[in-house]
Amino acid sequence: MGAVGSYFGDIKDAVTSIFEGMAVTASHFMRKPYTVQYPDRMPIRVQDTLPFRYRGILEVDLEICTGCLACERACPIDCIAIAVEKDKQTKQMIISQFDIDIAKCMYCGLCSEPCPTGSIHHTTEFEGADFSLESLIRRFIKEPIAAYKPKKGPETDPSIIPILNRGMTYVDEWAQPGGAKPAAEEEPA
Amino acid sequence: MSEFSTEEMTLNMGPQHPSTHGVLRFIIRADGEVMREAIPDVGYLHRSIEKIAEKVGYHGFMPYTDRVDYVCAMFTNQGWGMACEKLGNIEVPKRGEYCRVIAAEFNRLASHLLSVGSMAMDIGANTPFTHAIREREMINDLLEELCGARLTFNYMRIGGVAWDLPPGYREKALAYLDHLEPILDEYDSLISYNKIYVKRLANIGIISAQEAIDYNLVGPNLRGSGVKWDIRKDIPYSVYNEFEFDVPVGKGEWGTVGDSMDRYMVRMREMRESCKILRQALTKIPDGAVLAKVPRNFKPPAGECQIRIESGRGDMGWYAVSDGSGYPWRVHVRTGSFAAMGIINKLSRGLMIADLVTLIASLDVIAPEIDR
Amino acid sequence: MQQWADSLIAAGTFGHNPPRDLIYVLFIFVFSAVVFLGVAFPFAGIVSWVERRVWARIQSRVGPNRVGPNGFLQWLADGVKNVCKEDLVPAQADARLFKLAPYLVVLAFVVPWTVMPFSSDLILADLNVGILFMTAVTALTVVGVLMAGWSSNDKWSLIGGVRSAAQIVSYEIPAGLSIFPVVLMTGTLSMQGIIRGQGWAPNQWFAFANPFTFLAVNILFISSLAEGNRTPFDLPEADSELVAGFATEYSGMRYLFFFMAEWGNLFIIGAIITTLYLGGWQFPHVTDDRIVMNVLQVITFNVKVLFLVFVSMWIRATLPRVRIDQLMSLCWKYFIPISFVDMVGTAVWVAIWPDGNPMAGYVMLALFCALLILFVRRIVYYFRRAKMEMYLSPVV
Repeated sequence: MGAVGSYFGDIKDAVTSIFEGMAVTASHFMRKPYTVQYPDRMPIRVQDTLPFRYRGILEVDLEICTGCLACERACPIDCIAIAVEKDKQTKQMIISQFDIDIAKCMYCGLCSEPCPTGSIHHTTEFEGADFSLESLIRRFIKEPIAAYKPKKGPETDPSIIPILNRGMTYVDEWAQPGGAKPAAEEEPA
Repeated sequence: MSEFSTEEMTLNMGPQHPSTHGVLRFIIRADGEVMREAIPDVGYLHRSIEKIAEKVGYHGFMPYTDRVDYVCAMFTNQGWGMACEKLGNIEVPKRGEYCRVIAAEFNRLASHLLSVGSMAMDIGANTPFTHAIREREMINDLLEELCGARLTFNYMRIGGVAWDLPPGYREKALAYLDHLEPILDEYDSLISYNKIYVKRLANIGIISAQEAIDYNLVGPNLRGSGVKWDIRKDIPYSVYNEFEFDVPVGKGEWGTVGDSMDRYMVRMREMRESCKILRQALTKIPDGAVLAKVPRNFKPPAGECQIRIESGRGDMGWYAVSDGSGYPWRVHVRTGSFAAMGIINKLSRGLMIADLVTLIASLDVIAPEIDR
Repeated sequence: MQQWADSLIAAGTFGHNPPRDLIYVLFIFVFSAVVFLGVAFPFAGIVSWVERRVWARIQSRVGPNRVGPNGFLQWLADGVKNVCKEDLVPAQADARLFKLAPYLVVLAFVVPWTVMPFSSDLILADLNVGILFMTAVTALTVVGVLMAGWSSNDKWSLIGGVRSAAQIVSYEIPAGLSIFPVVLMTGTLSMQGIIRGQGWAPNQWFAFANPFTFLAVNILFISSLAEGNRTPFDLPEADSELVAGFATEYSGMRYLFFFMAEWGNLFIIGAIITTLYLGGWQFPHVTDDRIVMNVLQVITFNVKVLFLVFVSMWIRATLPRVRIDQLMSLCWKYFIPISFVDMVGTAVWVAIWPDGNPMAGYVMLALFCALLILFVRRIVYYFRRAKMEMYLSPVV
């Protein structure tokens, strides 16, 4: 009886489990697909739907770069090349080269973490495909500029204020070591 | 009636193959459909990550750990963070530990979803794979909000985590968990109890408990054979001793203890346990800092340390030797997939070629983890 | 067909005393071309697009929807792309067999269309061994597949080819045995004869005539899926093991021939089951106009066949693969005994009620409707539990 019982038991199991499986897939016919039809059938650009912390292609706001070289030191792959020197006459730091090789960059965020003003930051751009390898070296300096000197009090130059605000917002997203600032956490539950 | 004279075939399940879970090569000696032996050939994904650590320093190595096992990137991050903290005697703030647990358990969910999905795909059902990937995409969205990346997170730092939970995160995460649990049940009815699937998985690749221990298997592979060993419970690290959760163990309900079906069911049940841990962590998370103060040029005193964490694939061991300078002297990772390679040859004798695919999928082998 | 040709000759359309044989040959070529090139091949192409869209909806994604309106021209684009590909014959492969194999497989797919009963008048050749001819010709795939596997000079293809041959040959038996109940009930093997033995109402179909034929439809459907190398029996072309099984070394249009044959076979499977068990083209006699009746019958036939094609695609998306030895044991240990039981049971039934038993038809139909309602309730249960909104449009 065991063999016959297991024979018919097998048939019954097969039929019921396949029945259930087919019911599940049939219920999917009535649901909306999860696909996001990038890039053309989207109501807004994908880049605008990404969160603020998204680690896309790097960008430098040279107006607020202090030339501290913290990002160059932090990069594990050495994809950032900066040339900074002190101008003898004006006693200012002049940045003459700021290259980021985004082909080498692994989008880890270790460079934007130590930046004091948030000038080097990740954007939400991710479409970087191009036809030549040289075009993937982003050279941000066209002619040597003076590095930014952060003021003791609030910034007064109106052209720099929005850039600095954006940079500092970016910097505030990062966790402050040792609880230097309270965590920006939502409360109450 | 004289015996048929048969020849043995040597087949090559080459490094490029739709279902070897990465770049993995098997040399199969088969007598028709039945295999005599399947010899794994590893090394196609070796990238000298352990050597690179000696060049980039302690802080700079964190993104590289993502690439050791990219489906379990949070765990590798955590392992390296913990190794450095032990070397440098740094304590992670409580909230930082909770953030680590939340990120790690989400990553465990994502890793297991990928594992059961691709297992179903290897057996032939394409639909459960896409459903699992869909759920995994939602987890990736959550983690993208948390740390900005979807696969190679680089979320943790030495001394804590790099970003705090963004505002509104708890509600989104809890809503996602509410959404996920019925989907797991639906997944079960679609494929787990399907008779064809059960017949393909039950009694295939039976690993007894003693064999599993002898061959150094870890994680769901070990627990599927009935051995209740989970680092989170047995050698608790981080804040896991503050959570209540169960450790599922294979019971052989569908075949024998230690067959592929057991390992699969252990993964399905572990996903539900992860949901439990996540709910507790998200509600009990304390306030405070998430990152301890660690100097930029981190120079831990000379010495060595060994860390074990429970990653998606099992007990992941991190061993680091410091010589007092800013660069580690030696780093070594011990991964569960590498150990699993050892048992494939023994298990494959007498299996059919179609079963080899099942076996590799049930051992949840991820090729970059084998070769680093 | 032949009667129409004779009537045209008698009416003098071809002049006085035309050479009969030549006229017949002309008719054969023209109408075969119409059916093969106009119906069979486009169907095989279009069903590839439909299959991808149906799969995609089940898998929560969108299938091809860019090439042409809703992606409808995707199959044409695939065809053109494959024709433009390089003609690769592996160096040590047996070139003549390698090139011949796809044609044999396509032959096995195309020839059964000659006996396909689209309506009461539209059938290329109403052989009085129609169903036997269909079953016999579809078995030609074995030769083609074995040739492909062997001549590729590739061990993986060989495994795939041998598996496929074993599978098709084994599953011929339950398929053939499941045809017998119908033959017993009608006493004829001709396609039109079998259809005329049924009525247009579901309770008059042979599927619901008695419990044995109810089982036999299912056995026939599953065995035909196995013969057509469809999941859950697609181990020969298991894409997670053997890349493409017996067709691994093929590229371009030759590769596409194999898959066109597989997709086209879906229609033939559907046609066999519709003819034998689901009433074929039977439609209630609403008008005396012959042309309108024929059109309605063609539509009925196609709707039934396409529904079965849809069910095959749905099954393919849902179920995992059966391993080769489990497949064999399924055939020999489960399907063949059940088909024998069906055959003997129907024989006993026909002996007791030679003219059929209408009551049984109603009972079986009620049973089937009960099962269907149960199924729909499960679907609604899963849908409600997922808590997603309903989205019924096939266009995304």
